[in-house]
Amino acid sequence: MADNKDDKYLMDHNYDGIQEYDNPLPAWWLITFFGTIIFGFHYWIHYEFGGGQTLADELKGDLAIVKSLNPSTDNPDKEETLAALVSSDTAKTLGKEVYGAKCAVCHGPELQGLIGPNLVDEYWIQGKGKLVDIAVVVRKGVLDKGMPNWDNQLKEEEIQSVTAYIYASRGNKPANPKAPQGEKVVE
Amino acid sequence: MSEHNGNLEQVYYDDEIVKKFIMATLVFAGIAFLAGLLAALQMAFHPFNTNLEWLTFGRLRPLHTNAAIFAFAGNAIFAGIYHSTQRLLKTRLFSDTLSNIHFWGWQLIILAAAITLPLGYSQGKEYAELEWPIDIAITLIWVVFAVNFFGTLARRREKHLYVALWFYIATIVTVAVLHIVNALSIPVSLFKSYPVYAGIQDAMVQWWYGHNAVAFFLTTPFLGLMYYYMPKAANRPVYSYRLSIIHFWALVFIYIWAGPHHLLYTSLPEWAQTLGVVFSLMLWAPSWGGMINGLLTLRGAWHLLRTDPVIKFFAAAVTFYGMSTFEGPLLSIKSVSALAHYTDWIIGHVHGGALGWNGFLTFGMIYFLVPRLWKTELYSIKLATTHFWIGFMGIIGYYLSMVTAGITQGLMWRAIDAQGKLVYPDFVETVNQIVPLYWVRAFSGLLFIIGFFLMCYNLYKTIRSAPARSEPQPTEVKNTRWVVAAGHETPHRSLEGMATVFTVLALVAILVGSVIEIYPTLNMHKYVPRDAAIEPLTPLELAGRDLYLREGCYVCHSQQIRPLVAEVLRYGDPSTIAESMYDRPFQWGSKRTGPDLARVGNKYPDLWHFRHMLDPRSVVQQSLMPAYPWMLQKKTDFVGLRKRVTVLKNLGVPYTEEHLANADVMAEKQAAEIGKALVAQGAPEGVENKEIVAMIAYLQSLGQKRKANRTTQVGKAE
Repeated sequence: MADNKDDKYLMDHNYDGIQEYDNPLPAWWLITFFGTIIFGFHYWIHYEFGGGQTLADELKGDLAIVKSLNPSTDNPDKEETLAALVSSDTAKTLGKEVYGAKCAVCHGPELQGLIGPNLVDEYWIQGKGKLVDIAVVVRKGVLDKGMPNWDNQLKEEEIQSVTAYIYASRGNKPANPKAPQGEKVVE
Repeated sequence: MSEHNGNLEQVYYDDEIVKKFIMATLVFAGIAFLAGLLAALQMAFHPFNTNLEWLTFGRLRPLHTNAAIFAFAGNAIFAGIYHSTQRLLKTRLFSDTLSNIHFWGWQLIILAAAITLPLGYSQGKEYAELEWPIDIAITLIWVVFAVNFFGTLARRREKHLYVALWFYIATIVTVAVLHIVNALSIPVSLFKSYPVYAGIQDAMVQWWYGHNAVAFFLTTPFLGLMYYYMPKAANRPVYSYRLSIIHFWALVFIYIWAGPHHLLYTSLPEWAQTLGVVFSLMLWAPSWGGMINGLLTLRGAWHLLRTDPVIKFFAAAVTFYGMSTFEGPLLSIKSVSALAHYTDWIIGHVHGGALGWNGFLTFGMIYFLVPRLWKTELYSIKLATTHFWIGFMGIIGYYLSMVTAGITQGLMWRAIDAQGKLVYPDFVETVNQIVPLYWVRAFSGLLFIIGFFLMCYNLYKTIRSAPARSEPQPTEVKNTRWVVAAGHETPHRSLEGMATVFTVLALVAILVGSVIEIYPTLNMHKYVPRDAAIEPLTPLELAGRDLYLREGCYVCHSQQIRPLVAEVLRYGDPSTIAESMYDRPFQWGSKRTGPDLARVGNKYPDLWHFRHMLDPRSVVQQSLMPAYPWMLQKKTDFVGLRKRVTVLKNLGVPYTEEHLANADVMAEKQAAEIGKALVAQGAPEGVENKEIVAMIAYLQSLGQKRKANRTTQVGKAE
């Protein structure tokens, strides 16, 4: 036996040759054991009887903070501001990028229409094809037709740029255009 | 079997059954590890899903977990328990016949699992996927094991039970309770059933089971094995008997309460969540009691750590146990759970335990046992040492890559910018960020497996070198069963001499927490306001839900939006108790490799889902999801729906007489409508009777079942 200091704790039984010491419990272990029990008791009292925040309260507070960060303007989309973007190449490049990443799967890479309607013909289901009409659909979606609302997903700049890109692409002649849907809009 | 020789008696231990279980352990370790490797590769690179339905991630993952837990760890436990129990009790096992029924029965169960899980027969309950006939078989074989074990206890020649046996007793009793309570279900057909619990009841029972499967299948039996093999291999006394006593009772009493820590921030009632947090924290010290007793047993034998691979494996295993049981309480703290839940951190956590603790302890035990059982020397200590280091690096690589992945993704999910919008609103972006770490994980897993195959080779050479089988030799033992204690015995020492009382006390210890947590939940639906009632799924949607279970969608998608601000921005209102009240089983999930689906209904057009199921990349370019082309080939089982609806109605889902009589007709009608809409959007004709349409119907129903005229509106976001 290498270390004799344990030997005073050696017990007199053995099982298949296995012996046991009866070393005292380490102090740090006892502190952890009783410490967690005492903490747990207080924690439980706090949340069950002590008015600890419920999950719903917690969420309410956090949502209020997020809302205050994002002061809602009733109609952020103005025809003139958007029109300025239509002639901006930077905006259209960003718009094209966003379109490719988010819109192309349903409206087709050439805006020809796929799951969603054709965006380059003269027919519009929602609104009259004005910049503001497009921006509102991007922002709010047409939920019962499967068009998602992108206002939580896209940044302000992205929503406006993709609107400009779509508007500027009108009149393109893609290879396999989807049949027109909605009403013809003649300008 | 034994002859009297004064009070010395001769015993023939049954080592053949131990050898059999060791062989089975090795075979199923290989299968479990390789299934895990393939699953890891699928997450790094989706073409590994192979477009074969039997091997897609959703079906492979249950195969991997069941093989690792019940086949690999299960056989290892049985080998160790049967070997050590005979020696600790100085008697042969109760019945050779029962031992063999136990062995072959268990292997048949595993075989049945290996066939049914890839075929998609799944209850959709994590770690309890096996369908009801197999559940019954498990119960029967477990009873055989119990009879054999307690029969052996009854015939013992040693009065007092050593600590290893306490842990075996707790294991056998508790696993029986857990398995039976969790598996209660009503069959619909030979391979289909619905659980008797729904929604939060099912969540509570399922994680009480799931958490305590870890506790009483992967912890207590292995602690028992440690208490036998560690002091044996080190030839040192166990560190502290009184620590054994306090940590054993604290562990079995406290562990059973901790299940709800898997359900923090869900719609499980908060009092249960709070109990889950509290008892998880209290579990820290009792768990570490086992680690201390294991590691400090090596005091005075530390030099063996350099020379003996068995001690290396044991010391590392106990250290990993200590790590995992510190990390467990940490992850149970609400704010940590908010970050880590649904991420790969949890995957890292379980593999630290499974590979490090269960894997290495088993390897150490097998390296210890094989030369002794086959009466020879280990072929190569050097090879075993190499195994140790390769495996060790594998575990470290696995653990670090998954913790990093989990924290990275968790932070990305919750990142909100100065305008109050999500920084990464696109879920797939957060997945792509961690794909390199998925490669690191797969490589680390490969290292672990290479180590394992080195062991197999080493054992093969060892057994080949063994002397020819000889007649079994008896062992001389002293019968001390009826010896009267010389002096005063402590109460616990007396208790160790009373196996039945001990077993009953262990049962009571685990029942207290179980009853207190589960019983109120069983009545919880009374608290759901009637006017908040939820429409049940239509028959077609039900058919779709059963496909969702078959394909194991829940292993990657949750259906539970937590009341956290980032989740509400990403997915919508937090999930409510009422919304899952008819879900049998509940499908809240435990991991998000893909986004939450609780409110995915009506978010995308039918055609989007159609294309997404057939080829996810066609709508989400960087998606990792497997494709499900067979859903376009296979026909929906309309006829079987009547029976399914009837069983659910009997379980309390408010289906009407019309549903019972016409479920199939109603489903066909809805399918025809969806088929027509799909064609109008550009899908091919003739899909209405195919499974994909049922699947679409179900997905479109998610989050859409709150009755329109409800008066209580829960936390509308806007």
